[in-house]
Amino acid sequence: MAAEVDTKKRAQGEGDQGLIVKPMYTAARQFMKSLVRPSTIVYPFERLEDPKFRGEVRVASGKPIGVGEVWDNYRGVHALNINTCISCNLCAFSCPDLCIDMVTVPGGDPKHPKKCPEIDYGKCSYCGFCSDACPEGCLTMTTRYELSVTKRSDMVYSPQKMFDQFQRKLPMNPIRLARPANEDAILLDAPLCIGCNACSRDCPTNCITMLDIPKGTPKPGEKPAKRIWKEPVINDSDCVRCGTCISVCPKECLFWGTHT
Amino acid sequence: MSEMWINMGPQHPMTHGLWNLRVRIDGERILDVDPEMGYLHRGIEKISEDRHYNEVITLMDRTCYVAGIAWEHLYVQAAEKALGIAPTERSDWIRMMSEEFQRLASHIMWYAAFVQDLGLMSPFLYGMRDRDLILDLFQSYTGGRLTYEYMRVGGVRNDVPEGFTHRAREVLDWLEPRFVEYDRLCMGSDIFRRRCDDLGVLKANDCVRLGVTGPMLRSAGSKRDLRKDRPYSRYSQVEFDVATADSADVTGRYLVRMEEMRQSVRILRQVLDWLDSHPGPVLADHLPRWLGAPYAPIGREAYLLKRNYPKGVGLSAIEEPHGEACAYVVNEGGEHPYRVKFRSPVFANLSAAHHYLVGYHVADIPPIMGSVDVCVGEVDR
Amino acid sequence: MALTTLWDVAYFLASALLTLVGRVIPPLAAPLSNGDVIWGLSALVFGAILLAASMINTIMLIWFERKMLGRFMDRRGAMHVGYAGLLQNFADGLKLFRKNTFKPREADELGFYAGPIAYMVTSLLMFGVLPISTGWSDGSLPLSMLLALVIFSFAPLFIFISAWSSNNKYSLMGGMRSAAQMIAYEVPILLAVVAVVLVSGSFDLNTIVAEQQNYWFWGPLVLAMVVFAIGMLAEMERIPFDLPEAEAELVEGWNTEYGGMLFAFFMLADYLRALAGSFLIVLLFLGGWTLPTYVPSALTTFPLAGIFWFLVKTYAVFGVFVWIRAALPRVRTDQLLRIGWMRMIPLSLAAVVLAAALVLVKCLPVFGCIPSMGG
Repeated sequence: MAAEVDTKKRAQGEGDQGLIVKPMYTAARQFMKSLVRPSTIVYPFERLEDPKFRGEVRVASGKPIGVGEVWDNYRGVHALNINTCISCNLCAFSCPDLCIDMVTVPGGDPKHPKKCPEIDYGKCSYCGFCSDACPEGCLTMTTRYELSVTKRSDMVYSPQKMFDQFQRKLPMNPIRLARPANEDAILLDAPLCIGCNACSRDCPTNCITMLDIPKGTPKPGEKPAKRIWKEPVINDSDCVRCGTCISVCPKECLFWGTHT
Repeated sequence: MSEMWINMGPQHPMTHGLWNLRVRIDGERILDVDPEMGYLHRGIEKISEDRHYNEVITLMDRTCYVAGIAWEHLYVQAAEKALGIAPTERSDWIRMMSEEFQRLASHIMWYAAFVQDLGLMSPFLYGMRDRDLILDLFQSYTGGRLTYEYMRVGGVRNDVPEGFTHRAREVLDWLEPRFVEYDRLCMGSDIFRRRCDDLGVLKANDCVRLGVTGPMLRSAGSKRDLRKDRPYSRYSQVEFDVATADSADVTGRYLVRMEEMRQSVRILRQVLDWLDSHPGPVLADHLPRWLGAPYAPIGREAYLLKRNYPKGVGLSAIEEPHGEACAYVVNEGGEHPYRVKFRSPVFANLSAAHHYLVGYHVADIPPIMGSVDVCVGEVDR
Repeated sequence: MALTTLWDVAYFLASALLTLVGRVIPPLAAPLSNGDVIWGLSALVFGAILLAASMINTIMLIWFERKMLGRFMDRRGAMHVGYAGLLQNFADGLKLFRKNTFKPREADELGFYAGPIAYMVTSLLMFGVLPISTGWSDGSLPLSMLLALVIFSFAPLFIFISAWSSNNKYSLMGGMRSAAQMIAYEVPILLAVVAVVLVSGSFDLNTIVAEQQNYWFWGPLVLAMVVFAIGMLAEMERIPFDLPEAEAELVEGWNTEYGGMLFAFFMLADYLRALAGSFLIVLLFLGGWTLPTYVPSALTTFPLAGIFWFLVKTYAVFGVFVWIRAALPRVRTDQLLRIGWMRMIPLSLAAVVLAAALVLVKCLPVFGCIPSMGG
């Protein structure tokens, strides 16, 4: 086969010739090439992500070596826009390392406190699932990668600290995942609903409204229901599919499914 | 000097990871070896049972830290089979491209470490320099340099950015002359040939008997490559040759890996051409919500029970840079895999250490073990 | 008195110091002006200058290797402490100095501590013998080259002592390898030196350099030089012959158990020996501090020109060693010994025969004539 011939030929072609001349020559050639400027990037002084420096990086010898303009997608420290965060919990749910806690931040009303993610970078694996899951695009990953600290507690980034990252206007990871066209929706198993309003109360996007349902005509022999009956109606276009309503439903009457 | 046991490891320059090679020596001669693994066991298979299907991908990058995306590919394929989901065509090609880039990066890393074991420092830095370009490419489309978290069940996270194929071709153009340089430093050197010829011989039938796969098997003359024998992904649509050598020694493994890198470049050029001309979606539609990230996963499993889950098992095998890796995913219905099992090629290659180490010198251990290309992360999982 | 040589400087400093003391304390003036006292003190000053010079040179040599190796490997080498990292090695030394020196519990105390110190001291001794410029010694050491080689060959003893007494299997293996290797390469080195002695007719390094005024010995004795350089590589334990401390299999070989200042001793002594080896090659084959006669005299007459050119040559020779290190892997023990006993010794014998033939012929068309025996 062609490949077999290749390896053998290379073995005979490159070996058994001139003792150590070839490696010495190769090393000397590299020496001459890197005499003016070795390919290394002098890290604290030159940074690949620095826009000024990006242009100088080439895939060639005698220059700082690297593939230019690769930096935007980098998954580094998170930035959080507190103002647009809707406290949907999705980042915390999607985190495989369980490093995100939802903590209360000022801004919510006392009954429904506003909660934003707090990330423990001692556990974080920078997988980016949280920013992928964020429906509002308020939790993104920046290109910042230096976060050495002297205390372990400094590795926990509060929402405010991540908001500072946001305000530094670092290049953000531009990739936003499109939501799938035929996403599952939240469906109601109506006969189980007791109309308790919990889902509507806790919905972060306020897309659940409790609507009156017509009282069914009682069957013969039954008493008509006495209280006003309400059940949730979910506005699918506003819903971010966070599942909060499912979690709070006391009767387990909400579930994932597709509209038929 | 009478016989004695020495422990090479768990912390030893030769081990390239965390394992222990106990060696019984008489002077400089090896009488017996006893590899001990398990120092890096993280329970990845067990942890996987408690993660959503997509979240297991974060563990796959940590399984083998030099070939993360190959393991992602392996797992994702098995999970897709278990769940009955098919990836989109373009994402399959992107996965194949990623795996080949990973093979390049892994082999260059192997080359760097292997030659450094022989006492030669400069190829180590040449190798790291060239591998860095591939990591740059990875970063430009996955967002990570070592832990990519890129593949998803049903596709990949995102498409490659604009201009990526051009940059990738630049890197390939740079790499090809480097292979000649690598060869000059090693095969062109008389000292290297004297060190590596007829060293660590493991014949093909022994390889098969001991479950040794990958470049070690191919260096013994066997044309066994899963990319050809059981084509997965889109490997049946690209042209390449299986690199083999017949010396079954360290030099043979070196030659096989160098040739594989050249073949990888060949495959990559075809894949990049394909990607240029075939735009399309990279993530399958109709993905079940309970796959977990990137789509919002659900908090409490109890509420899922109303769903009618598909059940199934998935088995996939790929030609990982180190050898044949295998993944088995059992889907018993539910948002987590019921059981995940991996077959690590390096585990088998390492376990056969007795057969290719005994009888050589102590000074031969680093090159021989280097030629095995040990990655302890996947051995212990 | 013209201060042309280092000895003159030392003598001047010593006598000035003694005169000063004599002025301050008049009763001491008479005994201190005794010639022997001045000579003794100037020898001390000479030694101090030499010690400082050789240590600084060694550290510069490490810097030189790091920078050069960096370029060979497409990187920069040390670059932060001082200009272009010139002070990096001083910082490293300081760090090692500050570190705790500990001893394994089962290690033999005497050997463990005495080994590195003796290794260091004998390596330093060499610089008392090797002349760097004219007037280095007063000719009272007619066998200075033999003395240098004898001091050079002390090393395996101390390496083996420290290796064995540190009670570590890797150290022991490294020590064994080191002893075997150094003994194997002593023989070709000495035989190669015999070739030089045959041509120059002297064991005195000053005379050997003086004989190279007309032509450097590397021309006619190229075979001897190659053998000597390879032997020196093995003696210095540098790649490709660094198997006693082969990092990949023996961790650090015979200095595995050492840390802190004791390790710094080993490290320094290794480079001292590398410096001394380069010195020897320059002295024996590359004309020492002399330059060819056709070089314009402005290049050879400036102050300390001899030392300057000597160091330039030394660093060039060491640069070749660095180049080899950047390009070649290390060999195996059995291969190393086979090269030593079966290649180097016949080659060095051939070199001796060639040198003898050269002495018989007396004149070579390209290289010129050699002076008669005995200078």
